[in-house]
Order: sequence, then structure tokens, then C-alpha cells
Amino acid sequence: MDISVIADTFDVWTDDALSWISDHGEWLFEFVRMVLETTYDGVLWLLQVPPFYVIAVLAALIAWRQINLLAGVAIGVALAFCSFMGLWEETMSTLALVITATVLALLVGIPVGIVAGFVRTFDRFLDAVLDLVQTLPPYIYLLPAIALLGYSPATALVATFIVAVPPAVRLTSLGIRMTPNEFIELGQASGLTPWQMFTKIRMPFAVPSVMAGINQSLMMAFGMVVIAGIVGSGGLGATIYGAIRTLDIAVSINAAIAIVILTMILDRLTQSAGRRERETGR
Amino acid sequence: MNTVTDPSNEILVDCKSVWKIFGSRAPAAVKAISERGLSKKQVLDEFNCVVGVADASLQVRRGEIFCVMGLSGSGKSTLIRLLNRLIEPSMGGIVVKGRDIAKLNAAQLRDMRARHIGMVFQSVALLPHRTVLENAAFGLEVRGVGKEERHQTARAALDKVGLTDWTSRYPSELSGGMQQRVGLARALAADPEIILMDEPFSALDPLIRRQLQDEFRQLTKSLGKSAVFITHDLEEAIRIGDRIVIMKDGVIVQVGTAEDIVTNPADDYVSDFVAGISRIHLVKAHTVMRPVAEYSAAHPHVDVGSLLRASPEADIGNLIDLTMQSDRDAIAVVDNDAIVGVVTTRGLLRSVAGHPASQATAA
Repeated sequence: MDISVIADTFDVWTDDALSWISDHGEWLFEFVRMVLETTYDGVLWLLQVPPFYVIAVLAALIAWRQINLLAGVAIGVALAFCSFMGLWEETMSTLALVITATVLALLVGIPVGIVAGFVRTFDRFLDAVLDLVQTLPPYIYLLPAIALLGYSPATALVATFIVAVPPAVRLTSLGIRMTPNEFIELGQASGLTPWQMFTKIRMPFAVPSVMAGINQSLMMAFGMVVIAGIVGSGGLGATIYGAIRTLDIAVSINAAIAIVILTMILDRLTQSAGRRERETGR
Repeated sequence: MNTVTDPSNEILVDCKSVWKIFGSRAPAAVKAISERGLSKKQVLDEFNCVVGVADASLQVRRGEIFCVMGLSGSGKSTLIRLLNRLIEPSMGGIVVKGRDIAKLNAAQLRDMRARHIGMVFQSVALLPHRTVLENAAFGLEVRGVGKEERHQTARAALDKVGLTDWTSRYPSELSGGMQQRVGLARALAADPEIILMDEPFSALDPLIRRQLQDEFRQLTKSLGKSAVFITHDLEEAIRIGDRIVIMKDGVIVQVGTAEDIVTNPADDYVSDFVAGISRIHLVKAHTVMRPVAEYSAAHPHVDVGSLLRASPEADIGNLIDLTMQSDRDAIAVVDNDAIVGVVTTRGLLRSVAGHPASQATAA
């Protein structure tokens, strides 16, 4: 009896708070939405202006340089296949979403991770917050996001951003903390300033871990594609969501294949960048 | 303290009753030690603090290689880190080049470390993503020396350690011995007066180690550097060190030249250590010799002046060679044309076997 009163009161508060925020913070959310959508549109424009074969060849060349010739050919063919399935525009709009969200996540996650790497108490606090973010079902924060930002790519970006941030923060912080002790001692004994210690010792040793964080952020972002489709991202997510509603299995499988192709390409490319970093290291 | 006028006797590092106590209650333990003179065990029982270095006093002179020998846990690594304040002393003072390093602020301390006290580590700690040249230039780089100049200096330092052809390689392409040469070159490139060597050769195989020991000694001497060299190997200390300090459980047990320590071990602990050390090139005639009168009394018919002669600095190896060349059983030790003592065959055998010289009687 008492307990249900508490729960009801809490619900009322939450609803009130949300409507207060959306009433008073409208200009803010309008602004956030505008910034996010402009960024997303810009990236999308870049990816959609060139014809599909330019992008495919470009990706193939990068893969050839980064990994090997076979990987280059495979990636070129796989991208061309997305186009032959008639899903090129959707593929590019999904790519734009994932890239924009991941870049934003890295811009926030890496600096925060660096600070957490140095400040132990902040790291512990963040750990709890990130645990919460990572275990919370996405639908929970999608609802308020839709309420505040509307049914739009901006909401999809926020949702994707939220899942992409934690790995970037965690692995950057880990990389900073993992500097081998002997090198810290070398830095001290050589008379390094704190800033030199950071740029010349800690950061170089953290790079492989940060690269792994970038890779993981991307992978998490891809995991959100379908959910992003539900809140208005467009792209492959929307295609799949539409196919689910109409039980169009063929279309959903095609879109899924396109997502897998994109995911694998970006995974391999970022992983190989990380590996190269380690190899020149050792 | 710095009234010594002879520059070769100038004291570069002066460690005065330094203590290092580890543990959360270290300040209280320090207070108790200075007030009540607790033993290490009492400190552990009462404050749960470990004494790393206890009441260590030592002086390193300009141009000297000073070895600190001790087993693991003897506090030698702590001691060397106190000298450049990588570890803060709990009590006592350390004066480096006339400056109390405890009173330096952060910038002054960085400057002291960057310019005056170099350090070489057992783990070498070469930055894996930098070439050999860039590693050797590291100390200069952090001091803000321009690229051209620091690379030139680093190249010269690498020449000195015999790595001229390896400058553009990465550390992982080098053997352990070569890596340690880079570590030494890195310290030398910064041109400090004092180099702290923290067990630099311990991880190397015996042959390479020996080679590096000789090179290190020669290089340090020719460049006129002073070094504090940490080792757990007494033979290494003897090969390299002008003076040796022996540590046990954080306490300095004995300080002296290799000959002092081998011929006059301070206690059983040191005797055990020196038992296996060959005395042939360590012990000198002036230690082995007995007074002329003592010899003449035992051998009244022998004319001391007719014996083969050796200088007081001749080691046992030289004396054995001389004895083999003569049909006599003794050698006269001559200093400035005067016979100052006599070394008998029996005395030689005693010193080779490691019996204290004082027990030797003229035979």
C-alpha cells in the first residue's frame, strides 16, 4: 500500500520532470537536434555524392594498404554486392550514422578516459555509471530521447552514441593506467615534466588499448543499427524494421547481409590499424 | 663537508644517516626510531612498517665507481633510488653536488635528474616505438635540445658503446647486451657527472656481462664520470668498483676497496661472500708482506737484500710468478728503494687460501 504510493509518486515526478525539461529546454534540444542532424547530413552527403564504385574502390585500396591484396579485393566486391542488392543508399546512410556516432563517442570518450586513467576516484565513479549505461536496455533511454528530440536521425545518433562511448572510455583509461612501471621510472629519472610524461611515455603505451577501444566503439555502434532504425535513423535499420513489420524475410536478410558486410569491413580496418601500431612498437 | 681541495677527492654524493621506512605508519615509526632507537624487528612488530634502508651513510667521490652489493631485499635498489629522490627518504639527508636534494622543488629536481644524475635500469626500459638513436637522444629531447644537435650527441654516445651501425633499428631488433648498451648510451648522451646503474647487467649471460663490465669501467674512467653501481654479484662489484659497500637487510655492513673487503671481512656474512672469491689479482704485496725484522729473525742466514724484488702494488699473481723464477722462498717488497717487507711462499699460500694475513707468521 505504502510502497505503491511511493512508486506512483516517483512515476508522477518522472513524468513531470520530463515534461518540465521538454517545456523549458526546448530551445536546447532543438539546438542539439540541429547540430546532430547537420553533422549527420554532412557525413551522409560525403558518402552519397560519389557513385558506389568510387567508394568500393577507395575502401578496397585502403584495405590493400592496411591489410593485404586479398582483403582489398574481398572488401571491394562485398561493397559492390551491397549495391547490387539495391541497398546502396541505405548502406551509406547506416554507415554515416555509425561513423558520426562513433566519432562523437570518441571525441567524448577518449578525453574522459584519459582523465579517468589519471584520477582513480573518477575512474571508479565512471565505472558505475558505465555499468549502468551498458546494462540498461536501450528502449529505456530511447523513450525520453524520442520525447525530447523527436522521431529523427538525431535520436538514432544519441542512442548509438550512448552505446559507443563506454568502450572508448574504458579502454583509454585502461591504456593510460597500464604504462609499465619501469617506463614511469625512466621518465622520472630523466626529469620529465608531467606533460612530457603524458605525451612521451603514457600516451604511446596507451595507443594499442585506445585503438582497441575505437574498434569496440564501432562494433557497439553497429549493434544499435536496427534499434536506431526504429527511432527514425533511416538506412538499413529502417529497412529491417519495415521488413519485420511486413514479414518480408527476403528484404530483411538482404539488409542484414549489408550490415554484416559493413561491420566486418570496419572491424578489419580498425583492427589492422591497431595491430600495426603494436607491431612497430615491439 | 666540501672543504676538500683536491678535485679528485671532491664528494659528489653525500648520504648522511639515511633511513627509508615503508608502510602507512612510517612517520610514527621514524619518530620512534629517532627517539627510542628501535630495531628493525621492533619497527615491524610495533608499527607494521618495513625498514628498507637503515642509517646508511656513504660518500661517492668524483671519478669513482662505487658499487653497492647485496642480495635481493638488502635495500640496495631502494638506496640507489634515494640518491635521485625517486624514493623520498624518511630520515637523513642526501647532498648531491653540494645541494641537499630534499630541498629541491619539482623543477629543480627535474633539472638535477636531467643534467646531473643519469640512470640505467636492469629492465633497460627502451621505448619500443622509438629507434635506437631516438632512444639514446631521449634525455636531451626532454631537455628541449634541438633535433639536429641531440641526434649528433646521441650518435656520438652510441659510437662509444659500439652501436654505430644500429642507430636506425628498433630496440626489439637488438640482443639483450646491445639493448643495455643503448641504455648506457642514453645515460651518457645527457652527459651527467653521476650515473646510477641499477643492476644493469644482471639479466645478461655471463660472457656478455663480463665484456660489458670491462667496457663500462673503461668508459666511465675515460669520461671521468662517477657511478653508483648496484649488483648482487660480488665478483662484478670487484671487477668494476673502486670501492664497494656491502648491504644486508637495509644496513651497510662494510665499505671499502675490494682488497679491504676480501682480506678483512667485517663479519661472518661478508666472509661467507668473499670465501669463493679468487684473491690472486686482488690482494697486493703490501697486505701479504711481513716485517723484515720478523723474517730476518726466522732466517738469520738469509741476506734480505739478495731476494728478488717486487713493488707493494704487485698482486699475488705477480708474486707467484716471481717466486717460480727464483730458488728462494721469499720476495722482498721494495718501496722507494727501501725494503719495506718480505713475502714468503707460505704467506702467499695463506693469502691464496683466504686466511687472514695477520695470522701469517714468518716461516
